[in-house]
Amino acid sequence: MTVTELIALLPLMILALGATALLLLARGSVGRSWPLVVGALVALCAALSALLLPPCLMEVGGMYAAGPYARFFIALWSLATAATLISSSAYLTRRQLPSGEYTALLLFAAAGMGLLSSAVSLSGIFLALEAFTLVFYVLIAFNKDCPLGAEAGLKYLVPGGVAAGLLAFGMALLYAASGSLQLPAATAALLSGAPMQSVALAGMALLLAAFAFKLSLAPFHFWTPDVYQGAPAPVTGLLASGSKGAVIAALLTLTATLPAAPAIFEPVLITLALLSMVVGTLCALAQSNVKRMLAYSSVVHMGFVLTGLLCWNHTGRTAALFYLVGYSVITLGIFAVITSFSADKEPQQLSDYRGLARRQPLRALALTVLLLALAGLPPTVGFMGKLAIFSAALSAGYPLLAIIGILVSVVSIYFYLQPVIQMYMPSSSSAEAVEGHAGEYTVIALCLVLTLAFGLFPGPLLELIARLTP
Amino acid sequence: MTGTCPLPLLTLLLTLPVGTAALCLACRHRPAAARSLALAGTLAVLLIAIGCFVLLPAETGWLLRENYRWIPALGIQVSLGIDSLSLLMILLTAFLSVLAIGLSWNEDNRPTAYFALLLLVEAGVLGVFMALDLVLFYISWELMLIPLFFLIGIWGQRGGMAAAMKFFLFSLAGSLLMLLAIISLYVLHGQQSGDYSFALSALQNTVVPTGLEPWLFAAFALAFLIKVPLVPLHSWQADTYSAAPAACSLLLAGVLAKTGIYGLIRFALPLFPDTAQAALPLLAVLSLVSILYGGWIASAQRDLKRLVAYSSLAHLGFILLGLSAWTTTAVEGALLQMVNHGLTTAALFILIALIEKRAGTRQLEELGGLWGRAPKLSAMLLFFSLAALGLPGLNNFVGEILILLGTFSVQPLWAVLAAAGLLLAAIYMLRLLQSVIWGPAQDEKSWSDLVLSEWLLLVPLVLLVLWLGLHPETFLEPLRGSAQQLLNGAAPLSLSGGLP
Repeated sequence: MTVTELIALLPLMILALGATALLLLARGSVGRSWPLVVGALVALCAALSALLLPPCLMEVGGMYAAGPYARFFIALWSLATAATLISSSAYLTRRQLPSGEYTALLLFAAAGMGLLSSAVSLSGIFLALEAFTLVFYVLIAFNKDCPLGAEAGLKYLVPGGVAAGLLAFGMALLYAASGSLQLPAATAALLSGAPMQSVALAGMALLLAAFAFKLSLAPFHFWTPDVYQGAPAPVTGLLASGSKGAVIAALLTLTATLPAAPAIFEPVLITLALLSMVVGTLCALAQSNVKRMLAYSSVVHMGFVLTGLLCWNHTGRTAALFYLVGYSVITLGIFAVITSFSADKEPQQLSDYRGLARRQPLRALALTVLLLALAGLPPTVGFMGKLAIFSAALSAGYPLLAIIGILVSVVSIYFYLQPVIQMYMPSSSSAEAVEGHAGEYTVIALCLVLTLAFGLFPGPLLELIARLTP
Repeated sequence: MTGTCPLPLLTLLLTLPVGTAALCLACRHRPAAARSLALAGTLAVLLIAIGCFVLLPAETGWLLRENYRWIPALGIQVSLGIDSLSLLMILLTAFLSVLAIGLSWNEDNRPTAYFALLLLVEAGVLGVFMALDLVLFYISWELMLIPLFFLIGIWGQRGGMAAAMKFFLFSLAGSLLMLLAIISLYVLHGQQSGDYSFALSALQNTVVPTGLEPWLFAAFALAFLIKVPLVPLHSWQADTYSAAPAACSLLLAGVLAKTGIYGLIRFALPLFPDTAQAALPLLAVLSLVSILYGGWIASAQRDLKRLVAYSSLAHLGFILLGLSAWTTTAVEGALLQMVNHGLTTAALFILIALIEKRAGTRQLEELGGLWGRAPKLSAMLLFFSLAALGLPGLNNFVGEILILLGTFSVQPLWAVLAAAGLLLAAIYMLRLLQSVIWGPAQDEKSWSDLVLSEWLLLVPLVLLVLWLGLHPETFLEPLRGSAQQLLNGAAPLSLSGGLP
């Protein structure tokens, strides 16, 4: 490996080496928050290096890109990890969880997500995906005293294992058909007229199923609510934003190598998107548990992102990425608020939120704005994302997706407003009031400001993303 | 005169309430300061609006235009403009916002947030009346909705949250479909001309396929008619009006209803002229049903606020009937009636709030004997009720007679049916007066009559009602141009201001 290649991988090296160092140094870290601070600094360094270092190489070893697209995502997931770390301090202390291991795992996850976002070969996708999925198996079940957490870890493990099998087999088929693991060459076998096109299509179908598992697109979403419910709130935030976002980034790279959707897959993708929107919304309506509701809402949002992707043009991909960034910011903010409301028990039931606005007006207001943003109301980034996605869908000739998307948005207002209504109810719940931690406040404020700023002035971000998108 | 004002007045009108709202929130622990600030903010907006009304010449076309870059990547700009119709609506909004602040002067439940939200509603409504870019319009449209949801839900009476949810879902269902229609227009126009833009002036030139046009028009019309509301879409109205705090009922009936009609005039009718012509008879039928049904149901109400809500339904039906008659006289009457209805309904909601404050109830059977206890309040109630039922010499008469005359000249039957609605208005208004003012008092408590602060709310309304009733020309003259433009179908939108 040459020096230039090392420099090209520097942001990821910082994350991985930082994680390793923390694993060695931070032993017996229960109740301490310095590993979290160090971890957040490492992640910030990685983000800065990703943003500032000039990309000297476009690809490393034919597996990972080091161009602006990859760098953008490495920075994004590093920042998301830093935010998660900063907001987890009080949560871990209250539960007597070892912060050293937690930090190291999150940094590994960040490295894995960054790696996946920059993958340009099938083997690269597989390695990176499994790398951070393994980390999440541990993180979801991190609180050993919580039986729901262990259950959630198992529920993530089993479909995850199946998805990994599908992924590996699909890649094998694609390799058999094309003779290459490198991306444009590997997917070239999908084009009509290519020899062994049917084998390649079968491989691609398995690949799509594995991605749909990871993105929890309906009907591959059944693990989502249980995992969201059982996982620690800050981990759920990163799981919802980063892990799904990295998969989207890889899927986008994959789709961008094809000039148009293979004819067989177009109806499949449309069905996946439609089902995700409708099923996610209908299931979310019935939830009285806020984290489960957010799980189903993530199904809906992934349906929106997929709508952008399946437009199969630059506008659509730009819209999907913009939506993804907005969704990640909002989701991180929401889970930061839930983390900061968590006493010994996380507030999960709707009734736990009753009357919170009187006791914690600032965080209640923040949660309100973020939920409205998730519902796609102006002037937030959620609205601008929807605007971009729907215009892309309509101009690419998918009016049905846009109409269903709009109808689903109307219905979804109802369940996004439920926690808000509870918070502004006059009577209070019996749950104890939890003082916020400075770190939590910082993350919440940042996410809130970004949600509004990208909603009011999306121009610069949109242009940046349009330049990055392949 | 287009856009030659040295100050960016329109931007100022938009940002002033928002800025005041932020200041209000900033003085969280000094509610007295917050409400003074809110009053000052709304008064400043009112002053600017009056200044514009007095100083700008009453000519056809845009009186002021402002354009700023906003999101070039999506073809969205901050494009503001007013003509005499929107100026009059802005004047009404500014005036009623001052009254709304004044009416809730003694609010003691989280007053800072309350006043800030009221100011945000005002900002949203002003944005709706000024926006000439469809995304900006849509954002303003939603922005007036969100604060109202919280105002009704948190500060409303029992069942406020349920009513707020109903109102919110109804409105959003309409407006999200409108958003889809807006995006469709944007995409169509972009594909036709290569210029992806949300500006109204650009989208107006879009050639919409004949199969698609009715759907797009329906999406726009649905959003606007829900907000008005018109009969099959009205079921949120009475619940919301009666559960909302008094200031919100005032704004909802006085101003928010007008945004729906304004939307029809500014966007739905000019954007889809052919479908609009075809849809006018349907609109007329719905309006007539609203007039008769609203009047009939109003006569059976026991709750004062619900009574006024249904009477509002009938009056708004009158306005839409005037529009759908599509003659100069009727349309002029409809535009004037938008102002008239805003004033009288606002006055009635204020009076109901004053009565409720004294009696503790709004039920007709529990009230009575008001004249003996508070003669001045009773006189005011009598005055505005007579104005609402269309007594000659007061404001509503002028608008209604113009609408009826204009309608009669093209569709005599419609006018005859609408005139029956006037009869119903007399029935429910006189029933209201009978049960509230006359009859025996229910208890022996003595009530205070109107005090100075209450007079301050009512006297300007009295003067305006008389002014509009006796010399409507002041307001009718600037509206003539707008009415003509609407009828000619050639709105002055070709006047595109350059970017500053």
